[in-house]
Amino acid sequence: MAGIVCRTVNRIVSSQASCISSVVAVRNSHWFTSMLSLKTSVPLRAEPKKKKKVDPRREIMMKERLKKKLKRLEKVPPELIPIEDFITSAKSFDETRIREAPELSFEESERRAHLLKEWSRYKRTQHQMEMDVIQEALEAQRQALDELKLESEELYKAAFSPDTDVFPFQHEGPSYTPPNTNYEAPEGKFNDITRVYTQ
Amino acid sequence: MAAPFTRVSRPLWRIITTTTSNGGVRNVSYTRQQWSAQNVKTAGAAASPWALHGAVCVQRLPVVSQDRSPIEEKFMELMQQMELERSLLADHELKLLDDAARMSRKQEEDYDSDEEEDYKDKEIVTAQDLEDIWEQKLKEFQPALRTQGVNQKDVSSSERCLTDSLILLVKKDIGSQKLWLLPQIQWQMGETLRQTAERALASLPGADLKATFLGNAPCGFYKYKYPKDIQKEGSVGAKVFFFKAVLSSHKHLPLEKNSFAWVKKDELQDFLKPEYLKQVRRFIMAL
Repeated sequence: MAGIVCRTVNRIVSSQASCISSVVAVRNSHWFTSMLSLKTSVPLRAEPKKKKKVDPRREIMMKERLKKKLKRLEKVPPELIPIEDFITSAKSFDETRIREAPELSFEESERRAHLLKEWSRYKRTQHQMEMDVIQEALEAQRQALDELKLESEELYKAAFSPDTDVFPFQHEGPSYTPPNTNYEAPEGKFNDITRVYTQ
Repeated sequence: MAAPFTRVSRPLWRIITTTTSNGGVRNVSYTRQQWSAQNVKTAGAAASPWALHGAVCVQRLPVVSQDRSPIEEKFMELMQQMELERSLLADHELKLLDDAARMSRKQEEDYDSDEEEDYKDKEIVTAQDLEDIWEQKLKEFQPALRTQGVNQKDVSSSERCLTDSLILLVKKDIGSQKLWLLPQIQWQMGETLRQTAERALASLPGADLKATFLGNAPCGFYKYKYPKDIQKEGSVGAKVFFFKAVLSSHKHLPLEKNSFAWVKKDELQDFLKPEYLKQVRRFIMAL
């Protein structure tokens, strides 16, 4: 019992001594505050930073600079879509594809020249006839409208007003053979290889 | 298809005459407007002595292309030949040449199949085989005949003469005679002349024709005076205004033979009276 008391007293004394020594150690360094206060580290206890007033302005300036750079990049005109029809493909310049041009005899070239001239004459008369027919039809229509005007103004105005229903006008033109009744076209599939460009 | 040697250009004299004729036409119409304005003022609300009729010129446009004339045939051949001469070899033709070359190489004695570059173990479908396959497929298809079985003289069928445009004629009683005319009907108050023409088309007995009218304006007119005994005070004669329409649906039941006719432009003279024909011919364009 006494031994136990002694030991505890010794422990207390030794702890007190260590406390004292630790207290002494605390007072000497800044790393340790008193045991009684809250445990805090040095950076937490440091003096508060002085905020520079220029900082928010600097951030705004940075953002503006980035925006200007983006605008400059966007201002570049978009790349033009190539028109496929205007580009001669490399196949046209292939030398293995040149056809041997046949030599035309004198009679053949004469015949061709004569035929071309006859054709131009034929086409000219055809064009003349077409123009005459069209002029005749227009004249007939003009006279009809004049007569209608003599008759009544209202009807004339109704005839003169534009017709909105006639356009878009669709009509199947003449083909080589007439349409086959009861014809079922076979279903076919195809691969569409057209190139689609986006700007 | 233009000829490369000559250019078809309008000669100068033609341009001058057309401008002067246009100038002349303008003068005439101006004086007519003045006269008609005066007429309206003096006449006031008096009804004109002319009865108005609306008529419709229904055309069945050609279904099949026309046959080529001899010069057109010759020119077509020449153009095809010239285009062929000036062209380059196509892929298909190159394949044909390659196959022919390979065939000739195979016939030679010192033929070594290992020297062939591309075609070692694969099955070869030559270009000639492809051509034969395509021809076979074409023969399997039977197109309809250009001249259909319908008799070309049967005027009541709308399937005759598929290469030309046909016009509908109707036999009507006018006074005491039966005449062939374009379908017409009397104008009623409160409707435009185009509506009259549509009514004329719809009121044809036994015909279910759908047509698209081309515009509000009439394309021609014809005026005739009644014979003296029928002429009363206030009705001197009639004016018929024609409207053009294009037949839209193609399937029709055959119409009665004696009252309807589908007629080409050159056959019109067999059906219409001379004066009437003269006016009608002007606006029917059969080129």
